Amino acid sequence: MSYEIKKAAIIGAGVMGATIAAHLANAGIESVMLDIVPPFEPSEADLKKGLTKESKAWRNSFAINGLNGALKSKPASFYSKKNASMIAIGNLEDDLNLLKDVDFILEVVIENLKIKQELFAKLEKVIKPECIVATNTSGLPIREISEKMSAKNKERFLGVHFFNPPRYMKLVEVIPGETTKKEIVDYMTYFLENVVGKGVVICKDVPNFIANRIGVYDISNAVKTMLDKDLTIPELDAIIAKVLGRPGSAICGTIDLVGIDTGYHVMKNLVAAVPDDEMVKTFIPPEFMDKMVENKWLGNKTKGGFYKKTKDDKGKKVKLALDYHTMEYVPFEKPKYESVKEAGKTEGSFDDKLKALFYSEKDIAGEVAREYLCKNFIYSANRIPEICDTVYQIDNTMKWGYNHQKGPFETWDVVGVKESLEVMKKLKLKIPKKIIEMLKKGDSFYLKKEDGNYYYDFDKKDYVKMGDNPKIILLPELAAKNKVIKKNDGASLVDIGDGVACLEFRTKMNAIDGDIISMIEESCDIVEKDFTGLVVANHGTNFSVGANIFQVLMAVQNGEWDLLDKLIHDLQYANMKMKYLEKPVVTAPAGMALGGGCEVSMHGQRCQPCGETYMGLVEVGVGVIPAGGGCKELMVRCTEGLPDGTAEVLNMQPIYEKVLMNIGQAKVATSAMEAMELGYIRKTENISLNRDHQISDAKRLVLSMAMTHKKRKPDMIPVMGENLMGIAHAVLFNMKHGNYMSDYDEHVTMKLAWVLSGGMCPEGTFVTEDAILDREREAFLSLAGEQKTQDRIMHMLTRGKPLRN
Amino acid sequence: MRDAVIVQSVRSPGGRYKRGALAQTRGDEIGIQVLKGLMKRVPQVKPEDVDDLICGCSFPEGEQGMNLGRVIALGAGLPITTSGMTVNRFCSSGLQAIADATAKVMAGWSDCIVAGGCETMSHIPMGGWIFRPHPEWGDLPNTYVSMGVTAENVAADYNISREDQDKMGVESNRRAHEAIQKGLWKDQIVPIEAWKYVKDKNGQWIKIKKTFDMDDGVRWPATLENMAKLKSPFKQGGSVTAANASQMTDGAAFTMIMSAEKAKELKLKPIAKLTHYAVAGNKPEEMGVGPRYAIPKVLKLAGLKLDDIDLFEINEAFASQAIYCCRELGIEDRYWKGEINPNGGAIAIGHPLGCTGAKLTCQLLDELKRRKLKRGIVSMCIGGGMGAAGIYEML
Repeated sequence: MSYEIKKAAIIGAGVMGATIAAHLANAGIESVMLDIVPPFEPSEADLKKGLTKESKAWRNSFAINGLNGALKSKPASFYSKKNASMIAIGNLEDDLNLLKDVDFILEVVIENLKIKQELFAKLEKVIKPECIVATNTSGLPIREISEKMSAKNKERFLGVHFFNPPRYMKLVEVIPGETTKKEIVDYMTYFLENVVGKGVVICKDVPNFIANRIGVYDISNAVKTMLDKDLTIPELDAIIAKVLGRPGSAICGTIDLVGIDTGYHVMKNLVAAVPDDEMVKTFIPPEFMDKMVENKWLGNKTKGGFYKKTKDDKGKKVKLALDYHTMEYVPFEKPKYESVKEAGKTEGSFDDKLKALFYSEKDIAGEVAREYLCKNFIYSANRIPEICDTVYQIDNTMKWGYNHQKGPFETWDVVGVKESLEVMKKLKLKIPKKIIEMLKKGDSFYLKKEDGNYYYDFDKKDYVKMGDNPKIILLPELAAKNKVIKKNDGASLVDIGDGVACLEFRTKMNAIDGDIISMIEESCDIVEKDFTGLVVANHGTNFSVGANIFQVLMAVQNGEWDLLDKLIHDLQYANMKMKYLEKPVVTAPAGMALGGGCEVSMHGQRCQPCGETYMGLVEVGVGVIPAGGGCKELMVRCTEGLPDGTAEVLNMQPIYEKVLMNIGQAKVATSAMEAMELGYIRKTENISLNRDHQISDAKRLVLSMAMTHKKRKPDMIPVMGENLMGIAHAVLFNMKHGNYMSDYDEHVTMKLAWVLSGGMCPEGTFVTEDAILDREREAFLSLAGEQKTQDRIMHMLTRGKPLRN
Repeated sequence: MRDAVIVQSVRSPGGRYKRGALAQTRGDEIGIQVLKGLMKRVPQVKPEDVDDLICGCSFPEGEQGMNLGRVIALGAGLPITTSGMTVNRFCSSGLQAIADATAKVMAGWSDCIVAGGCETMSHIPMGGWIFRPHPEWGDLPNTYVSMGVTAENVAADYNISREDQDKMGVESNRRAHEAIQKGLWKDQIVPIEAWKYVKDKNGQWIKIKKTFDMDDGVRWPATLENMAKLKSPFKQGGSVTAANASQMTDGAAFTMIMSAEKAKELKLKPIAKLTHYAVAGNKPEEMGVGPRYAIPKVLKLAGLKLDDIDLFEINEAFASQAIYCCRELGIEDRYWKGEINPNGGAIAIGHPLGCTGAKLTCQLLDELKRRKLKRGIVSMCIGGGMGAAGIYEML
């Protein structure tokens, strides 16, 4: 039987349920979200609002509140608030019939076995026979939840465990039950990876599965180390931090974020659930945490946990940290460890820095790092095959679900397995036999060979080749295989197979400079001659944060106006070359695509954005206007599609006001979908939810375009002429008087209006793209010559944020 | 010159912007229904007796374009021989229409005219659909400035505190609420058969009609504490908010003016007459100060003093400008005595731009009659920097 999830149901509209429904909506999946009818009477205030026990609004109020919560959540759960309309809400008494045609039900209710069992008994009666049924439990055994289900339904039942917040956390644990059909597990994996864009790890049905077993050990181990070494909370967070690959909030900061009570209960539950675990004692929460829970010092949600932010007598913000000996909050002081500082400054990659701290003898930090990491390593190794069979499952889980930069086995490889054994011996830790065994075959968990990547398999006692996922194209791997066609200091052109080439930016933060611009042009020439098409993509956190403004400022300060003019001209025409290439060009932005990065993205013939794409023309922040074709292309995007004969007579005021405000207020879209709403991406494009697949998706788009590809006919842009200047004056006048912009903001925005007006022409005139590009350049150069613009650029370079002057 | 007298004055209820009962009804349709209601109340007047229809409108575009006056006259069933015109002096358009009609009758050029105003703010945005400021003028003159900004300017330049503005906001709502509770407006209002587009059981859009007979903008209970929480949408750190500014509203109001002879002939009892009318100009960027100049100007024309005026309707475009004008004229205490905007103003029941002058006329005459008083003034500020004021005398 083949399965396809088109419509889903989420049962339980708490934070998790509602935000999962939101992300399903992002993925284009409609859902029904049900919760219980409130088991209490409407309050006086509710009655005043017109809510009665019988009213729909009251009966659905849990689901309504859940949806509203998801709409207000920060960071945003929805790509666009409009997606909320894809979620139908109801309650479990009146609306069970809504579940009749759903293809997938995910239960996200309270962690109570009896409630879950009863719920599934109720659901079983209404669902269709091919509906996939899942629980989002984070700890209860799948076997017990499904105990009372019919054998038929058990075959379609499994655990599907999302992490909070679901839109942003890559991990989903999939836990098959004893009799779950393989095709269900396979389809679910396919669905979660391809449609929902997640990273799936298949888990065994053991308490807390993988992430919350290894993760909770990781945290408990850190807290225990803190107590053993008598460190303060800030001291622990200074050591087990970025250098070791932990997120910025480190250990205690992260627990504050999650909630002390949540962490505390998971620890307690583990003590009961895994009595035979050799480290079970580590899970027993320390006494001071008992007190914290008792005092309701639960972290950020109660405005105080390990840390507390408050104001002093003078109203100045101060950060406090808990002294767990006295149970009092004391002023936070940033601990200083020479070893951590040195490690951070170590030349080279993350690996080199981590290694430096691990082996440091300078102060206690090295000792803490060693003890903490070694215990983690050993604990993780001992969990195989108990919780899963391979090292990469654990590594992926910790990276995707706990934001660790590297998983325990990858980290172990970094410090050197062999060398680490000496450390462990000194610490009198029990080294697992399987590690000693592995060292007979090789000295790392992962291995790169000619034909691919290998991992060490404890069961087979040998290295096993990792399966290649054809949907994952990794540019560095291709580079290692001599697939680079051309490169310079800022970018390279890589052959990604099937006649498609990929232009990869490689400057710092992928800022656009002369190297990148010349590589765009060269890539176009090469592709035109020898390839089927071009993809513009990279693996950076950000596709590109914009033009290299340092280069701009240098040119201005040296009075090299011709050089600057040429640089801008080159970017404009490199972009134009992509747009009008004889071969298909697809840009694939992900992360930030700002300023010049946005302009490059907009000049692909098509775009294959990642869901998490943050796009905007932000040039006014540094006192200039987009001059790489950004103004011009946004004008094209916002006016294309008008039937012939209408632009001449249409009132284009709302359209051009939108363009003026998007650029004039440097609006940045917070998702690819919002970028479509703002006009930076065409609404007809498809979004890659899984960034790992994005380059492959873009490549496939190139190949499909190539079948019928024709060079685009030059665009002609309908403009409002001088009349737009009058409108801009009036709009900006009001904004200035409302203190929403400075005089200089007004000046810059008027220059922008001058570009967008298209010239001294009547409303409804069509102008060429070149005409607008010329105006972009002229406006850019004139603004760049002004002191206040230079001040803005300087401020951005030194402080990293815009100056309002 | 002849005497021009008012024999009937009615208005539609004010419907809240976008969400109110009139939000989906066409503007011209509101006007047509009010005119029909007016004609019904003076059965002595035959349709062909009406010589002209003068309709005030601030943004005569879209459904209120195409010479709204003529459209409404024909739409309400007046014969083709009745002419029609539209006048625009922004917020005083309705009063301007009555003044023009009065002057025409007084001059002997017409015997019977219906005049008033009509505006749907839900459908036609302030500034109109096609806004084209002169591109060569840059910032000057400030004719194009947003009304909210002018209200902030008045508040800032003349020290009108946020608290004072909010107090007027509460009082306006309190008075309007009380008026509705007491049923004071029943006689002046022509109920409107309002349109609404809704989905039927099958999910198909259909048009339904429902009678709407009372202003729906009043916010009561209103408290200073709740009002203090609002932020200014016009200026960062500003003091003008949704609660101390007029509401955007849909509505229409018409008044019938005829020569005293004609009224006698038709055996109609004259209610009142507009004796004097004046408009004064002031700075566009503080347009709200208008009444402070227009009222003295019209009083001078009439040879009267403020004390000779029993009741005022001074449009609450914004509390800041209304307070400023009362203060400067030395009549702020009369506001609190209930002699100015006795039943609440635009903060509570809205300011349908071109209709407002006609609507305030209708309200003033009704209240003068109820209190058995003699003289009243209708006045308002005008976008672009003007003020208008008219003196009515009961007969």
